[in-house]
Amino acid sequence: MSHPGFDGRDDLMGSKRVADRYLKREGLGEGTYGVVYKAIDTKTGQTVAIKKIRLGKHKDGVNFTALREIKLLKELKDPNIIELIDAFPHKGNLHLVFEFMESDLEAVIRDRNIVLSPADIKSYLQMTLKGLAYCHKKWVLHRDMKPNNLLIGADGQLKLADFGLARLFGSPDRKFTHQVFARWYRAPELLFGTKQYGSGVDVWAAACIFAELLLRRPFLQGSSDIDQLGKIFAAFGTPKPSQWPDMVYLPDYVEYQFVPAPPLRSLFPVASDDALDLLSKMFTYDPKARISVQQALEHRYFSSVPPPTKPALLPRPPKKGESLSTKPMDFNPQEGPVVLSPPNKLRRVMVNRDGLDGLVAEKVEGGVRQKGEDTSQSKNIPMSIDVAAAFGSKPPPRPTLNSADRSHLKRKLEWEFEPE
Amino acid sequence: MAANFWTSSHYKQLLDQEDVDVVPSLDKERGLTLEEFKLIKVHMTNYIARLAQYVKVRQRVVATAVTYFRRVYVRKSMTECDPRLVAPTCLYLASKAEESTVQARLLVFYIKKIYPDENYRYEIKDILEMEMKLLEALDYYLVIYHPYRSLTQLLPDAGLTDLTHLSWSLVNDTYRMDLILIYPPYMIALACIYIASVLKEKETTAWFEELRVDMNVIKNISMEILDFYDSYKIIPDEKINATLNKLSKS
Repeated sequence: MSHPGFDGRDDLMGSKRVADRYLKREGLGEGTYGVVYKAIDTKTGQTVAIKKIRLGKHKDGVNFTALREIKLLKELKDPNIIELIDAFPHKGNLHLVFEFMESDLEAVIRDRNIVLSPADIKSYLQMTLKGLAYCHKKWVLHRDMKPNNLLIGADGQLKLADFGLARLFGSPDRKFTHQVFARWYRAPELLFGTKQYGSGVDVWAAACIFAELLLRRPFLQGSSDIDQLGKIFAAFGTPKPSQWPDMVYLPDYVEYQFVPAPPLRSLFPVASDDALDLLSKMFTYDPKARISVQQALEHRYFSSVPPPTKPALLPRPPKKGESLSTKPMDFNPQEGPVVLSPPNKLRRVMVNRDGLDGLVAEKVEGGVRQKGEDTSQSKNIPMSIDVAAAFGSKPPPRPTLNSADRSHLKRKLEWEFEPE
Repeated sequence: MAANFWTSSHYKQLLDQEDVDVVPSLDKERGLTLEEFKLIKVHMTNYIARLAQYVKVRQRVVATAVTYFRRVYVRKSMTECDPRLVAPTCLYLASKAEESTVQARLLVFYIKKIYPDENYRYEIKDILEMEMKLLEALDYYLVIYHPYRSLTQLLPDAGLTDLTHLSWSLVNDTYRMDLILIYPPYMIALACIYIASVLKEKETTAWFEELRVDMNVIKNISMEILDFYDSYKIIPDEKINATLNKLSKS
């Protein structure tokens, strides 16, 4: 061990480090590729989340998805992107250390005790777009944008997380798989099977999140890919070739019955004109004409009143297991390890919707019907789906990529050869 | 692509020649000279390229694997980490990082095919164990930029697309040296274009002047490449084996 400059490196990086540097706390749940637990970084006093990556069952070494996340997060350092603090092997498993985030945007949207003012919505959207703009500047597509992947820290900052599906892009002819994103956030070009897509797919998903912040429920809840397109067309009208010339050439293109677009105002009765204008630009059908993230950030919505709420002042759900009166801001990392004692609970679990949720959604729909000219929404559906019924009743469980999707994706990605 | 190279970890990790041309002290103790150290790296670069041909991955994966390999030995000694294991593992890791995974068992199969010699024999579990060590040695930085992309952008701009094949081959050969650890990839691409244009007697002075790059650096890189061609025409197997044996003896 006399390599110049690297003496003691092995001791420092070795397996003792978990015990040396991190004090293990309670488990936080099952992540995409292994268990996540909470720990205190004794070096900084910071609370961290440690992902223990399961080794592949089929002798394929470090998990491919995890490796991808490591690769990209090492290049991405931004206030609105989750920080990969450290990585180390321990007992044959790779461990990733992230800053600990106490909540996520899905929990905020679902929490009926939280009132989101227009300024709050603006703030959450701005932070989402800032993180995304940074990714796109670095040629990284996130490809899995959804409220559940937007984490919220103790200081109120929103950060993009879960880069397991993200990819570097850049050459226009590069082929990708279209099986990305949870369905409700999937752009129409993906649903039509395109393999050559760009940053527009993340913009569409961000628009879905914007709409979800306004409505307090997922906006376009398709139960299949076909149904998803039906929901999209019901909301914005069936696209005409003049609106989106490349559409008819997409691999999975099918013709849908023409329906006109209801006024956007009728879908978002309480949104400001600026909000609606930005929303419509983000929901543009033709990905080439769709607004870029950077342009969205420069939209007048963000400069008009009200100004976005400062992150620290944003309403957030109470920390799990803590009394409502405890303000997260009181946490002082200088005071050393703080023992937090919530029971073992999943951090990013799906919140079960109760009856109230459906009720509120129904009310909104009712408002739409009274306000809009077209009294029966179901008339507008190009497929034979009753949107009103779907929206009013308990919505289907939030779709995520299941293991079958993932292995399919993995197989596809393994065979993806890029021209070089 | 070039625009964000400057904010990449690759750019931040560029090293000075003096820091790359250092024989790790453990290896020095075993009598390894700088020349021999470089020789092993050349040999292992060839090994990675041969393996890559068998498992059919594109050039970019080879280039990334070789870059990993060379980075590792800025930090680790060959005594600690046997290059005969590190080389295939670098290819394994690079294939994942470049999104075209090669299975470890396939690598093990072809390793035996290329080198029946038992000094090269490693099993799947050895590769997987080394993968973890490599990640650590690389400090988990996996994104590497290569000169190929610059090449495809610069050649049409210079009106030299007929030099594509030659300059591409030159770029391939630069991975037998440590240039990728020291210079931004576009400069390596420019040096290769420069050599190709001189060899084919194409007039490029005006074009290079317009680029406003430091021609001294480009010429230095070009000289290094040409020197390399002079000194490493053939590497006899016996010499490689004798050198590697120095490391395995304790």
